[in-house]
Amino acid sequence: MKKNIILFLLIAAAAAAFVLFADIQSVDEYYLSHIDDIKEGDPTVFLTIRCDTVLDNYDKLRQALRSPEYVPEDGVILARTEYVLRDGDTVFDILERAARHNRIQLEHHGTAAVYIKSINHLYEFDCGPLSGWIYKVNGGFPSGDCSSYVLSDKDEVEWVYTCDLGQDVGRGYTEEAAP
Amino acid sequence: MKAFACYHPAVLMLYFVAVLAIAMFCWHPVLLALSLAGSALFYFTLAPARVFLRESAFLALLAVAVTAANPLFSHGGATPLFFINGNAVTLEAIRYGLALSVMLAGVVLWFRAYGLVMNTDKFLYLFGRALPALSLVLSMAMRFIPLFRRQMKRVGDTQRAMGLYREESLPDRARFGMRVFSAMVTWALENAVETADSMKARGYGLAGRSHFSLFTFSGYDAVMLAAIAVLTGVFAAGAAAGGADFSYYPRTVQLSLSAASLAVYAAFGALCFLPAFIEIKEKIKWTYFKSKI
Repeated sequence: MKKNIILFLLIAAAAAAFVLFADIQSVDEYYLSHIDDIKEGDPTVFLTIRCDTVLDNYDKLRQALRSPEYVPEDGVILARTEYVLRDGDTVFDILERAARHNRIQLEHHGTAAVYIKSINHLYEFDCGPLSGWIYKVNGGFPSGDCSSYVLSDKDEVEWVYTCDLGQDVGRGYTEEAAP
Repeated sequence: MKAFACYHPAVLMLYFVAVLAIAMFCWHPVLLALSLAGSALFYFTLAPARVFLRESAFLALLAVAVTAANPLFSHGGATPLFFINGNAVTLEAIRYGLALSVMLAGVVLWFRAYGLVMNTDKFLYLFGRALPALSLVLSMAMRFIPLFRRQMKRVGDTQRAMGLYREESLPDRARFGMRVFSAMVTWALENAVETADSMKARGYGLAGRSHFSLFTFSGYDAVMLAAIAVLTGVFAAGAAAGGADFSYYPRTVQLSLSAASLAVYAAFGALCFLPAFIEIKEKIKWTYFKSKI
Protein backbone atom coordinates (compact mmCIF):
# COMPACT_ATOMS: atom_id res chain seq x y z
CA MET A 1 0.00 0.00 0.00
CA LYS A 2 2.75 2.38 1.01
CA LYS A 3 4.66 1.46 -2.12
CA ASN A 4 1.62 2.29 -4.23
CA ILE A 5 1.38 5.74 -2.69
CA ILE A 6 5.06 6.43 -3.42
CA LEU A 7 4.64 5.21 -6.98
CA PHE A 8 1.51 7.31 -7.43
CA LEU A 9 3.30 10.41 -6.11
CA LEU A 10 6.23 9.81 -8.46
CA ILE A 11 3.94 9.50 -11.48
CA ALA A 12 2.01 12.60 -10.41
CA ALA A 13 5.29 14.53 -10.01
CA ALA A 14 6.47 13.45 -13.46
CA ALA A 15 3.14 14.44 -15.00
CA ALA A 16 3.25 17.81 -13.22
CA ALA A 17 6.81 18.44 -14.41
CA PHE A 18 5.78 17.59 -17.96
CA VAL A 19 2.79 19.95 -17.85
CA LEU A 20 4.88 22.74 -16.32
CA PHE A 21 7.95 22.53 -18.53
CA ALA A 22 6.62 21.23 -21.83
CA ASP A 23 5.35 23.94 -24.09
CA ILE A 24 3.12 22.23 -26.62
CA GLN A 25 2.32 24.12 -29.81
CA SER A 26 0.31 23.08 -32.81
CA VAL A 27 2.05 23.13 -36.18
CA ASP A 28 0.38 26.39 -37.20
CA GLU A 29 1.18 28.04 -33.90
CA TYR A 30 4.84 27.05 -34.26
CA TYR A 31 5.18 28.44 -37.76
CA LEU A 32 3.17 31.58 -36.95
CA SER A 33 6.08 33.99 -36.91
CA HIS A 34 6.40 37.67 -36.26
CA ILE A 35 8.56 39.04 -38.99
CA ASP A 36 8.85 42.81 -38.67
CA ASP A 37 8.06 44.91 -41.72
CA ILE A 38 11.13 46.73 -42.90
CA LYS A 39 10.81 50.46 -42.23
CA GLU A 40 13.10 53.24 -43.32
CA GLY A 41 16.17 53.39 -41.10
CA ASP A 42 15.71 49.95 -39.46
CA PRO A 43 18.91 47.94 -39.08
CA THR A 44 18.67 44.87 -41.32
CA VAL A 45 20.70 41.79 -42.24
CA PHE A 46 20.64 39.55 -45.29
CA LEU A 47 20.22 35.78 -45.07
CA THR A 48 20.91 33.12 -47.68
CA ILE A 49 20.68 29.32 -47.28
CA ARG A 50 22.41 27.23 -49.95
CA CYS A 51 23.42 23.62 -50.50
CA ASP A 52 25.27 23.77 -53.86
CA THR A 53 27.98 21.37 -52.69
CA VAL A 54 25.42 18.56 -52.45
CA LEU A 55 24.78 18.87 -56.19
CA ASP A 56 28.48 18.18 -56.84
CA ASN A 57 28.38 15.13 -54.53
CA TYR A 58 24.97 13.76 -55.48
CA ASP A 59 26.26 10.18 -55.50
CA LYS A 60 27.14 10.46 -51.80
CA LEU A 61 23.73 11.84 -50.84
CA ARG A 62 21.38 9.58 -48.86
CA GLN A 63 18.98 7.91 -51.28
CA ALA A 64 15.79 9.20 -49.63
CA LEU A 65 16.89 12.83 -50.05
CA ARG A 66 17.50 12.72 -53.79
CA SER A 67 14.56 14.92 -54.67
CA PRO A 68 14.28 18.62 -55.51
CA GLU A 69 12.05 18.94 -52.47
CA TYR A 70 15.07 18.55 -50.18
CA VAL A 71 17.91 19.58 -52.47
CA PRO A 72 16.66 22.22 -54.95
CA GLU A 73 18.09 22.00 -58.46
CA ASP A 74 19.79 25.38 -58.17
CA GLY A 75 21.03 24.62 -54.62
CA VAL A 76 19.16 27.57 -53.13
CA ILE A 77 16.99 26.73 -50.11
CA LEU A 78 16.42 30.38 -49.19
CA ALA A 79 17.32 33.10 -51.68
CA ARG A 80 19.00 36.24 -50.31
CA THR A 81 16.35 37.91 -48.14
CA GLU A 82 16.47 41.01 -45.97
CA TYR A 83 15.35 40.69 -42.34
CA VAL A 84 14.93 43.33 -39.67
CA LEU A 85 17.67 43.06 -37.06
CA ARG A 86 16.36 43.23 -33.52
CA ASP A 87 18.58 44.29 -30.69
CA GLY A 88 21.04 41.54 -29.72
CA ASP A 89 20.02 39.18 -32.53
CA THR A 90 22.49 36.38 -33.18
CA VAL A 91 23.01 34.36 -36.36
CA PHE A 92 20.83 31.63 -34.83
CA ASP A 93 17.96 34.02 -34.00
CA ILE A 94 17.80 35.25 -37.59
CA LEU A 95 17.99 31.71 -38.97
CA GLU A 96 15.24 30.45 -36.69
CA ARG A 97 12.96 33.39 -37.44
CA ALA A 98 13.49 33.01 -41.18
CA ALA A 99 12.99 29.23 -41.04
CA ARG A 100 9.71 29.61 -39.18
CA HIS A 101 8.55 32.36 -41.51
CA ASN A 102 9.28 30.26 -44.60
CA ARG A 103 8.23 26.93 -43.03
CA ILE A 104 11.68 25.45 -43.53
CA GLN A 105 12.39 22.47 -41.31
CA LEU A 106 15.12 23.18 -38.76
CA GLU A 107 16.66 20.99 -36.10
CA HIS A 108 19.23 22.26 -33.67
CA HIS A 109 21.01 20.92 -30.67
CA GLY A 110 21.93 22.61 -27.41
CA THR A 111 20.77 25.80 -25.77
CA ALA A 112 23.95 27.55 -24.59
CA ALA A 113 25.92 26.81 -27.76
CA VAL A 114 23.56 25.97 -30.59
CA TYR A 115 24.57 23.53 -33.29
CA ILE A 116 22.46 23.28 -36.45
CA LYS A 117 21.83 19.64 -37.24
CA SER A 118 19.43 20.02 -40.12
CA ILE A 119 17.90 22.58 -42.45
CA ASN A 120 15.17 21.51 -44.86
CA HIS A 121 15.59 17.80 -43.84
CA LEU A 122 19.22 17.89 -44.97
CA TYR A 123 21.02 16.56 -41.89
CA GLU A 124 24.65 16.51 -40.91
CA PHE A 125 26.40 13.43 -42.38
CA ASP A 126 23.66 13.00 -45.00
CA CYS A 127 26.15 13.60 -47.81
CA GLY A 128 29.28 11.83 -46.67
CA PRO A 129 30.98 11.67 -43.27
CA LEU A 130 32.40 15.20 -43.52
CA SER A 131 29.13 16.95 -44.30
CA GLY A 132 27.10 19.44 -42.28
CA TRP A 133 25.89 23.03 -42.01
CA ILE A 134 28.27 25.94 -41.43
CA TYR A 135 27.71 29.67 -41.60
CA LYS A 136 29.47 32.66 -43.08
CA VAL A 137 29.17 36.28 -42.05
CA ASN A 138 30.31 38.86 -44.62
CA GLY A 139 32.25 36.18 -46.50
CA GLY A 140 34.27 34.88 -43.53
CA PHE A 141 33.79 31.87 -41.28
CA PRO A 142 33.42 32.90 -37.61
CA SER A 143 34.89 30.34 -35.22
CA GLY A 144 32.21 30.34 -32.52
CA ASP A 145 28.77 28.81 -32.51
CA CYS A 146 25.93 30.60 -34.24
CA SER A 147 24.09 31.58 -31.06
CA SER A 148 27.01 33.61 -29.73
CA TYR A 149 27.66 35.67 -32.86
CA VAL A 150 25.76 38.95 -32.43
CA LEU A 151 25.01 40.61 -35.76
CA SER A 152 25.20 44.25 -36.71
CA ASP A 153 23.51 46.37 -39.38
CA LYS A 154 23.83 45.22 -43.04
CA ASP A 155 25.64 41.98 -42.16
CA GLU A 156 25.53 39.31 -44.83
CA VAL A 157 24.71 35.90 -43.29
CA GLU A 158 25.04 32.78 -45.39
CA TRP A 159 24.32 29.21 -44.30
CA VAL A 160 26.06 26.70 -46.53
CA TYR A 161 26.10 22.92 -46.57
CA THR A 162 29.55 21.47 -46.85
CA CYS A 163 30.48 17.96 -47.90
CA ASP A 164 34.14 18.29 -46.95
CA LEU A 165 34.47 20.03 -43.57
CA GLY A 166 34.22 23.47 -45.19
CA GLN A 167 37.03 22.98 -47.72
CA ASP A 168 34.57 22.91 -50.65
CA VAL A 169 32.94 26.20 -49.62
CA GLY A 170 36.17 28.12 -49.34
CA ARG A 171 37.12 27.57 -45.75
CA GLY A 172 40.81 26.64 -45.57
CA TYR A 173 42.59 24.98 -42.71
CA THR A 174 44.57 28.20 -42.18
CA GLU A 175 41.53 29.74 -40.57
CA GLU A 176 40.60 28.83 -37.04
CA ALA A 177 39.17 25.33 -36.77
CA ALA A 178 35.61 24.93 -35.60
CA PRO A 179 35.20 24.26 -31.87
CA MET B 1 10.09 -35.30 -39.62
CA LYS B 2 11.02 -34.49 -36.05
CA ALA B 3 10.59 -31.55 -33.68
CA PHE B 4 12.69 -28.52 -34.45
CA ALA B 5 14.87 -28.82 -31.34
CA CYS B 6 15.92 -32.34 -32.41
CA TYR B 7 17.74 -31.20 -35.54
CA HIS B 8 21.50 -31.29 -35.58
CA PRO B 9 23.04 -28.45 -33.48
CA ALA B 10 24.97 -27.09 -36.46
CA VAL B 11 21.73 -26.77 -38.46
CA LEU B 12 19.97 -25.06 -35.56
CA MET B 13 22.87 -22.68 -35.00
CA LEU B 14 22.94 -21.77 -38.67
CA TYR B 15 19.19 -21.18 -38.63
CA PHE B 16 19.35 -18.79 -35.68
CA VAL B 17 22.35 -16.95 -37.08
CA ALA B 18 20.58 -16.45 -40.43
CA VAL B 19 17.27 -15.31 -38.92
CA LEU B 20 18.84 -13.04 -36.31
CA ALA B 21 21.22 -11.43 -38.80
CA ILE B 22 18.22 -10.41 -40.91
CA ALA B 23 15.90 -9.56 -38.01
CA MET B 24 18.50 -7.35 -36.35
CA PHE B 25 19.66 -5.36 -39.35
CA CYS B 26 16.63 -4.99 -41.63
CA TRP B 27 14.36 -2.03 -41.09
CA HIS B 28 11.75 -3.03 -43.60
CA PRO B 29 8.33 -3.06 -41.83
CA VAL B 30 7.10 -6.20 -43.62
CA LEU B 31 10.24 -8.11 -42.64
CA LEU B 32 9.97 -6.86 -39.05
CA ALA B 33 6.33 -7.96 -38.86
CA LEU B 34 7.23 -11.40 -40.28
CA SER B 35 10.08 -11.76 -37.79
CA LEU B 36 7.82 -10.86 -34.85
CA ALA B 37 4.97 -13.11 -36.00
CA GLY B 38 7.26 -16.08 -36.71
CA SER B 39 9.18 -15.78 -33.44
CA ALA B 40 6.01 -15.28 -31.38
CA LEU B 41 4.34 -18.33 -32.89
CA PHE B 42 7.48 -20.43 -32.41
CA TYR B 43 7.92 -19.28 -28.82
CA PHE B 44 4.22 -19.94 -28.19
CA THR B 45 4.66 -23.58 -29.25
CA LEU B 46 7.74 -23.99 -27.01
CA ALA B 47 6.94 -22.12 -23.80
CA PRO B 48 4.13 -22.68 -21.31
CA ALA B 49 1.17 -20.38 -21.93
CA ARG B 50 1.71 -18.49 -18.66
CA VAL B 51 5.33 -17.69 -19.51
CA PHE B 52 4.37 -16.68 -23.02
CA LEU B 53 1.69 -14.29 -21.75
CA ARG B 54 4.02 -12.72 -19.20
CA GLU B 55 6.70 -12.23 -21.86
CA SER B 56 4.16 -10.73 -24.28
CA ALA B 57 2.87 -8.31 -21.66
CA PHE B 58 6.41 -7.17 -20.90
CA LEU B 59 7.24 -6.70 -24.58
CA ALA B 60 3.98 -4.81 -25.20
CA LEU B 61 4.85 -2.44 -22.37
CA LEU B 62 8.35 -2.00 -23.79
CA ALA B 63 6.88 -1.31 -27.23
CA VAL B 64 4.61 1.42 -25.89
CA ALA B 65 7.54 3.04 -24.05
CA VAL B 66 9.87 2.91 -27.07
CA THR B 67 7.22 4.21 -29.47
CA ALA B 68 6.41 7.09 -27.14
CA ALA B 69 10.05 7.93 -26.41
CA ASN B 70 11.44 7.96 -29.96
CA PRO B 71 9.66 11.15 -31.14
CA LEU B 72 10.98 12.97 -28.06
CA PHE B 73 14.57 12.35 -29.14
CA SER B 74 14.30 12.22 -32.89
CA HIS B 75 12.79 15.25 -34.57
CA GLY B 76 13.35 14.47 -38.24
CA GLY B 77 10.49 13.77 -40.60
CA ALA B 78 8.37 15.81 -42.95
CA THR B 79 5.04 15.53 -41.13
CA PRO B 80 5.09 17.38 -37.80
CA LEU B 81 2.06 16.66 -35.61
CA PHE B 82 2.82 19.23 -32.91
CA PHE B 83 5.79 20.92 -31.30
CA ILE B 84 7.15 20.48 -27.76
CA ASN B 85 9.48 23.28 -26.66
CA GLY B 86 10.18 24.12 -30.29
CA ASN B 87 10.98 20.53 -31.28
CA ALA B 88 8.78 18.71 -33.74
CA VAL B 89 6.99 15.48 -32.82
CA THR B 90 6.62 13.88 -36.22
CA LEU B 91 4.60 11.06 -37.69
CA GLU B 92 7.78 9.54 -39.15
CA ALA B 93 9.47 9.44 -35.75
CA ILE B 94 6.46 7.61 -34.28
CA ARG B 95 6.53 5.10 -37.14
CA TYR B 96 10.26 4.60 -36.66
CA GLY B 97 9.69 4.06 -32.93
CA LEU B 98 7.03 1.48 -33.72
CA ALA B 99 9.38 -0.31 -36.13
CA LEU B 100 12.13 -0.24 -33.50
CA SER B 101 9.88 -1.78 -30.87
CA VAL B 102 8.68 -4.51 -33.26
CA MET B 103 12.31 -5.28 -34.06
CA LEU B 104 13.22 -5.41 -30.36
CA ALA B 105 10.29 -7.68 -29.54
CA GLY B 106 11.12 -10.00 -32.45
CA VAL B 107 14.79 -10.27 -31.53
CA VAL B 108 14.00 -10.86 -27.85
CA LEU B 109 11.58 -13.66 -28.76
CA TRP B 110 14.10 -15.25 -31.16
CA PHE B 111 16.66 -15.26 -28.38
CA ARG B 112 14.14 -16.73 -25.94
CA ALA B 113 13.43 -19.51 -28.44
CA TYR B 114 17.18 -19.95 -28.97
CA GLY B 115 17.60 -20.39 -25.22
CA LEU B 116 14.98 -23.13 -25.18
CA VAL B 117 16.24 -24.93 -28.28
CA MET B 118 20.02 -24.60 -27.99
CA ASN B 119 21.07 -25.82 -24.57
CA THR B 120 24.61 -25.73 -23.18
CA ASP B 121 25.23 -29.27 -24.31
CA LYS B 122 24.63 -28.39 -27.96
CA PHE B 123 26.65 -25.21 -27.71
CA LEU B 124 29.64 -27.01 -26.23
CA TYR B 125 29.29 -29.77 -28.82
CA LEU B 126 29.60 -27.18 -31.59
CA PHE B 127 32.38 -24.98 -30.21
CA GLY B 128 33.93 -27.00 -27.36
CA ARG B 129 36.66 -28.48 -29.48
CA ALA B 130 37.61 -25.44 -31.53
CA LEU B 131 37.35 -22.82 -28.78
CA PRO B 132 37.29 -24.70 -25.44
CA ALA B 133 37.96 -21.76 -23.09
CA LEU B 134 35.72 -19.27 -24.85
CA SER B 135 32.79 -21.63 -25.26
CA LEU B 136 32.95 -22.68 -21.59
CA VAL B 137 33.00 -19.02 -20.50
CA LEU B 138 30.12 -18.21 -22.85
CA SER B 139 27.96 -21.10 -21.72
CA MET B 140 28.69 -20.25 -18.07
CA ALA B 141 27.83 -16.61 -18.69
CA MET B 142 24.58 -17.52 -20.44
CA ARG B 143 23.37 -19.68 -17.59
CA PHE B 144 24.67 -17.27 -14.97
CA ILE B 145 21.65 -14.96 -14.71
CA PRO B 146 18.97 -17.65 -14.23
CA LEU B 147 21.30 -19.44 -11.81
CA PHE B 148 21.96 -16.19 -9.91
CA ARG B 149 18.26 -15.48 -9.70
CA ARG B 150 17.46 -18.95 -8.35
CA GLN B 151 20.22 -18.79 -5.76
CA MET B 152 19.14 -15.27 -4.75
CA LYS B 153 15.63 -16.48 -4.06
CA ARG B 154 17.02 -19.37 -2.03
CA VAL B 155 19.23 -17.09 0.11
CA GLY B 156 16.37 -14.62 0.59
CA ASP B 157 13.96 -17.36 1.62
CA THR B 158 16.48 -18.66 4.14
CA GLN B 159 16.92 -15.21 5.63
CA ARG B 160 13.17 -14.82 5.96
CA ALA B 161 12.78 -18.31 7.42
CA MET B 162 15.29 -17.31 10.08
CA GLY B 163 12.93 -14.50 11.03
CA LEU B 164 15.05 -11.68 9.65
CA TYR B 165 13.79 -8.68 7.68
CA ARG B 166 10.12 -9.35 7.70
CA GLU B 167 9.30 -5.65 7.93
CA GLU B 168 7.79 -3.80 5.02
CA SER B 169 9.72 -0.61 5.77
CA LEU B 170 11.98 0.70 3.03
CA PRO B 171 15.32 0.93 4.96
CA ASP B 172 14.82 -2.58 6.29
CA ARG B 173 14.15 -3.92 2.81
CA ALA B 174 17.25 -2.14 1.52
CA ARG B 175 19.33 -3.73 4.30
CA PHE B 176 17.86 -7.11 3.39
CA GLY B 177 18.76 -6.60 -0.26
CA MET B 178 22.32 -5.58 0.63
CA ARG B 179 22.80 -8.63 2.83
CA VAL B 180 21.50 -11.04 0.23
CA PHE B 181 23.55 -9.34 -2.48
CA SER B 182 26.81 -9.55 -0.53
CA ALA B 183 26.17 -13.24 0.09
CA MET B 184 25.51 -13.66 -3.62
CA VAL B 185 28.74 -12.00 -4.73
CA THR B 186 30.81 -14.37 -2.60
CA TRP B 187 28.82 -17.33 -3.83
CA ALA B 188 29.11 -16.30 -7.50
CA LEU B 189 32.91 -15.96 -7.35
CA GLU B 190 33.28 -19.26 -5.54
CA ASN B 191 30.87 -20.98 -7.91
CA ALA B 192 32.71 -19.76 -11.02
CA VAL B 193 36.07 -20.94 -9.70
CA GLU B 194 34.59 -24.27 -8.65
CA THR B 195 33.01 -24.85 -12.06
CA ALA B 196 36.25 -24.04 -13.85
CA ASP B 197 38.22 -26.31 -11.50
CA SER B 198 35.74 -29.10 -11.93
CA MET B 199 35.90 -28.88 -15.72
CA LYS B 200 39.68 -28.84 -15.58
CA ALA B 201 39.71 -31.91 -13.33
CA ARG B 202 37.67 -33.72 -15.99
CA GLY B 203 40.27 -32.87 -18.61
CA TYR B 204 38.11 -30.37 -20.48
CA GLY B 205 39.92 -28.85 -23.44
CA LEU B 206 42.83 -31.28 -23.40
CA ALA B 207 44.07 -32.71 -26.68
CA GLY B 208 42.94 -36.25 -27.36
CA ARG B 209 39.93 -36.05 -25.02
CA SER B 210 36.98 -37.67 -26.67
CA HIS B 211 33.41 -36.40 -26.47
CA PHE B 212 30.29 -38.41 -26.21
CA SER B 213 27.26 -37.06 -28.00
CA LEU B 214 24.10 -38.37 -29.49
CA PHE B 215 24.00 -35.89 -32.33
CA THR B 216 24.04 -37.43 -35.77
CA PHE B 217 23.68 -35.67 -39.05
CA SER B 218 20.75 -37.35 -40.79
CA GLY B 219 18.92 -36.90 -44.05
CA TYR B 220 16.38 -34.64 -42.35
CA ASP B 221 19.23 -32.36 -41.31
CA ALA B 222 20.53 -32.21 -44.87
CA VAL B 223 17.07 -31.26 -46.17
CA MET B 224 16.71 -28.61 -43.46
CA LEU B 225 20.18 -27.24 -44.18
CA ALA B 226 19.36 -27.01 -47.89
CA ALA B 227 16.07 -25.24 -47.14
CA ILE B 228 17.83 -22.66 -44.93
CA ALA B 229 20.54 -22.13 -47.55
CA VAL B 230 18.05 -21.70 -50.41
CA LEU B 231 15.80 -19.29 -48.47
CA THR B 232 18.74 -17.23 -47.26
CA GLY B 233 20.16 -17.20 -50.78
CA VAL B 234 16.87 -15.97 -52.27
CA PHE B 235 16.68 -13.34 -49.55
CA ALA B 236 20.25 -12.17 -50.20
CA ALA B 237 19.65 -11.96 -53.95
CA GLY B 238 16.41 -10.00 -53.47
CA ALA B 239 18.04 -7.70 -50.93
CA ALA B 240 20.95 -7.06 -53.28
CA ALA B 241 18.40 -6.00 -55.91
CA GLY B 242 16.97 -3.48 -53.44
CA GLY B 243 14.01 -5.57 -52.27
CA ALA B 244 14.70 -5.01 -48.57
CA ASP B 245 15.35 -1.27 -48.78
CA PHE B 246 13.15 1.04 -46.79
CA SER B 247 13.52 4.50 -45.38
CA TYR B 248 11.52 6.30 -42.70
CA TYR B 249 13.00 9.80 -42.90
CA PRO B 250 12.24 12.40 -44.12
CA ARG B 251 9.14 10.78 -45.58
CA THR B 252 8.20 7.13 -45.09
CA VAL B 253 8.35 5.50 -48.50
CA GLN B 254 5.56 3.40 -49.99
CA LEU B 255 5.76 -0.36 -49.48
CA SER B 256 7.33 -1.82 -52.59
CA LEU B 257 5.62 -4.67 -54.45
CA SER B 258 8.35 -5.25 -57.00
CA ALA B 259 9.52 -8.77 -57.87
CA ALA B 260 12.63 -8.38 -55.68
CA SER B 261 10.54 -7.24 -52.70
CA LEU B 262 8.04 -10.05 -53.08
CA ALA B 263 10.88 -12.59 -53.28
CA VAL B 264 12.41 -11.11 -50.11
CA TYR B 265 9.07 -11.19 -48.24
CA ALA B 266 8.36 -14.78 -49.31
CA ALA B 267 11.84 -16.08 -48.51
CA PHE B 268 12.07 -14.42 -45.11
CA GLY B 269 8.48 -15.32 -44.27
CA ALA B 270 9.15 -18.98 -45.03
CA LEU B 271 12.36 -18.85 -42.97
CA CYS B 272 10.57 -17.28 -39.98
CA PHE B 273 7.60 -19.63 -39.95
CA LEU B 274 9.63 -22.79 -40.62
CA PRO B 275 10.23 -23.81 -36.96
CA ALA B 276 6.70 -22.92 -35.85
CA PHE B 277 5.32 -24.92 -38.77
CA ILE B 278 7.38 -27.98 -37.84
CA GLU B 279 6.41 -27.76 -34.17
CA ILE B 280 2.70 -27.39 -34.92
CA LYS B 281 2.75 -30.18 -37.47
CA GLU B 282 4.43 -32.51 -34.98
CA LYS B 283 1.96 -31.54 -32.28
CA ILE B 284 -0.99 -32.35 -34.56
CA LYS B 285 0.58 -35.66 -35.52
CA TRP B 286 1.20 -36.56 -31.88
CA THR B 287 -2.37 -35.73 -30.88
CA TYR B 288 -3.69 -37.71 -33.81
CA PHE B 289 -1.66 -40.82 -33.01
CA LYS B 290 -2.54 -40.56 -29.33
CA SER B 291 -6.23 -40.39 -30.19
CA LYS B 292 -5.98 -43.72 -32.00
CA ILE B 293 -4.56 -45.62 -29.02
